Amino acid sequence: MTITELLLPAFVASLILTGIHAYLGVHVVERGVIFVDLSLAQIAALGTTVAYLMGHDLHSGMAYFYSLGFTFLGAAVFSFSRVHRKTRVPQEAVIGIVYAVSAAVAILVMSKATQETEHLKDMLVGNILSVTWPELFTTAVLYSLVGVFHYVLRERFLLISMNEAEAERRGWNIRFWDFLFYISFGFVVTSSVAIAGVLLVFCFLIVPSVTAMLFSARLGPRLAIGWSMGALVSAGGVALSYGLDLPTGATIVATFGGALLIVAACRRALRRAGASALSMDARSGRLP
Amino acid sequence: MKKTALLFLVLLFAPAAGLAQAKVRIVSTLQDFASISQSIGGDLIEADALAKGYQDPHFVDAKPSFILKLSRADLLIVAGLELEIGYLPALIDQSRNAKIHPGGPGYLDVSVGCDILERPTGQVTRAMGDVHPHGNPHYWTDPNNGGIIARSIAAKLSALDPPNRATYEKNLAAFEAKLAAKDKEWMAKMAPYANAKIITFHRSWPNFAKHFKLDVVGEIEPKPGIPPSPSHTLDIINLIITDKIKAILVEPYFDLKTPKYIAGKTGASVVVGYPSVGGLPEIKDYFELFDHDIDELVKALGGGTQ
Repeated sequence: MTITELLLPAFVASLILTGIHAYLGVHVVERGVIFVDLSLAQIAALGTTVAYLMGHDLHSGMAYFYSLGFTFLGAAVFSFSRVHRKTRVPQEAVIGIVYAVSAAVAILVMSKATQETEHLKDMLVGNILSVTWPELFTTAVLYSLVGVFHYVLRERFLLISMNEAEAERRGWNIRFWDFLFYISFGFVVTSSVAIAGVLLVFCFLIVPSVTAMLFSARLGPRLAIGWSMGALVSAGGVALSYGLDLPTGATIVATFGGALLIVAACRRALRRAGASALSMDARSGRLP
Repeated sequence: MKKTALLFLVLLFAPAAGLAQAKVRIVSTLQDFASISQSIGGDLIEADALAKGYQDPHFVDAKPSFILKLSRADLLIVAGLELEIGYLPALIDQSRNAKIHPGGPGYLDVSVGCDILERPTGQVTRAMGDVHPHGNPHYWTDPNNGGIIARSIAAKLSALDPPNRATYEKNLAAFEAKLAAKDKEWMAKMAPYANAKIITFHRSWPNFAKHFKLDVVGEIEPKPGIPPSPSHTLDIINLIITDKIKAILVEPYFDLKTPKYIAGKTGASVVVGYPSVGGLPEIKDYFELFDHDIDELVKALGGGTQ
């Protein structure tokens, strides 16, 4: 086996993950529900734990359906606990509560199960190096389906994410559309966390879309920037992890952080250069 | 009427009379030591373990019942070598039981006298990962050390409960005889695979490998607790292919995803080896621990010999 054979599936996996997450990230950042993926992933893990307690194998189909079922439950909670004008409870509070409670309940369930549940705590860590081609194929198919679903319903989802007041004015049933949104999101997160782990999925979701927001407010350019950044950084991270002989997942995460820092610094420098050029123009009496 | 009353009295006090000689209450950190204590102490003791056999012994979540158990204990048996450093010292303090403090009469570190491997030379730093500065604490996976542990426990029980010394010594002799007979059986099963090369997940098996003549040529996690890098993963895969290694030995508390991936790429089998009694419901004592692990290993090593 060669290093390309080992690293290629990991790289393709990061491209597939970037594809769907950079898009969903736009929604997540616009809605200000940054930690919703951690919360849904934790609920999915709780579902797997419960499946195990019911006597199903951890990596079996039944365990997957349990985790999906729990994710739907989480989707229901998030869509019905939307920011309530009167109580002013922010959505992030609900997300945090769901995260903490499902993590704690998973610990309780594990302590009651008879055996072999110890490594459940590793479930959210993931090892992107151990992804296989068949796994990538099914994941790609699933993400494409979710992508088509979002494309068909793009008008609803985008308006609710970006301009909730307008959506309300049109009299849409926002809770219903939110429920569909979080369910599709849950489908994606359940599979991606199993492949790459919580840290990496969080990065794929948030960093490209935040980077893109530095440059544009329009959806098209934001997606283009997000996707290219995700692909470039994934390639760089995988290469760095090989070159420096470091754990791959953590290296990609750190590379994302570094890339965001560099991009933000460049943007600032560009702005300054732009501003000083502007003031020089003003001094020389020419108006821009 | 009088007879019934007498009978009632007898029934009432008989168990109490039996208990007049109170049992020695033993708490051990690992189920292995509780099992050996049970063999040595029989009816004279009550043994209870804190960590369950399927848990990672480095990280045990403390429960309130642990403090209760420790506060009532006459004897605390620990693996030592800093295996329990993450949770036990605080529990001992909270138990307010002076007997079981390190150095107290009811504290027994059974690593003393055992054959301990991998004692690091030079300075130990965090850069080496989760390394134990006093040597590898998984020493009870060598049956010879099991015999030494049994002798330490018998000596301690005789000191704590001198009137029953003869019983403890008799039970110790029986335990040693059974261990010797069982060891012969295990060695015979493993004999065809002498010096077979294996890969392990974590460095938990040096004593087991030494006793049963296995050659651990690599670990999936080179630094315990830190995920492997691509080139290390590749080295292990190629090592398995070129040396035709048949078994990857993994502890039950690690996720099987990476070992299974490597097995799928190479044709080796993943063997879940239990490092402690109680890891599976059928591993009820120290002997069944080796019965199970050796049977599983033999299956993997013997598979596809042609």
